Amino acid sequence: MKALDRLDSAFEHRARLAIGVLLARHDEISFARFKQSLSLTDGNLGAQLRKLEDTGYVALRRDFVERKPVTWYRLTEAGRNALDSHLGALQSMIATATG
Amino acid sequence: MQQAEQLKQDLDYVVGAVRRHDRSAGVPSIYFMWAVIVAVGWALPDFAPQLAAPFWVLFGIGGGLVSMWLAARDTKHSGSVDQAHGRRHGLHWLVTGAAFLVCWLPVMRGAPIETAVGNFMLVAAISYALAGVHLERPLLWTGLLMLAAYVVLTMFAWPYTWTATGLLVAIALAWAGFSSQRSRSPVHPE
Repeated sequence: MKALDRLDSAFEHRARLAIGVLLARHDEISFARFKQSLSLTDGNLGAQLRKLEDTGYVALRRDFVERKPVTWYRLTEAGRNALDSHLGALQSMIATATG
Repeated sequence: MQQAEQLKQDLDYVVGAVRRHDRSAGVPSIYFMWAVIVAVGWALPDFAPQLAAPFWVLFGIGGGLVSMWLAARDTKHSGSVDQAHGRRHGLHWLVTGAAFLVCWLPVMRGAPIETAVGNFMLVAAISYALAGVHLERPLLWTGLLMLAAYVVLTMFAWPYTWTATGLLVAIALAWAGFSSQRSRSPVHPE
């Protein structure tokens, strides 16, 4: 199936796919907000974000809110294109499966 | 088949996360601040009409600026930045502010002041109701309340209509603030 080739392994894990979709809808999201939205542990969320960061799909910046450190994440241009392609592939797969 | 089921579960998870993230019921402190401004400002045409215009110029513009600051602060605390959403809010209330100023044009051309205050109520009603439709749902009820008040104001000459409407709107805004506060789950910094 051609759609399978367009699937991106970076977004195959559902947490990473959710991170990508959330970042596509918002400019920046903090680590704490991700943790709340995705119901993940610090370790698991950190690992998933690091994987996306390593692929160059997600960029981070560190900031302080009321003297507390906050890490903000955003989708890079490459990440946005990769997510578009991955979602397109998923749509094709679902369309094929449902006839 | 198992793969299709896995895919469905994954997509359900993503949809759930996006829906959980999208709940926006406004910033409580902004609702509370406007509840106070509206309660005082809308009582002025009944008790001290000469103070109404300067009050709204000062607190209308000042309240708008403080709202922007509170919204920016809330964005940082909520852990999610959406500039397009912020721009939409800003434009909506900027247009509302311009419409409020235009309400005074008939008075400047010699019409009685009641013309301006009636228009002011109608503009506020439409602006709040549309903000409720497009931006923050709790504002819809406040807008509809103002629209009903506009009808009462135009059709009947009840005493203290402005004060009563101001108090009702203030209660509606305070209610919106409390419901917004309840619907929020705090995001703790890392």
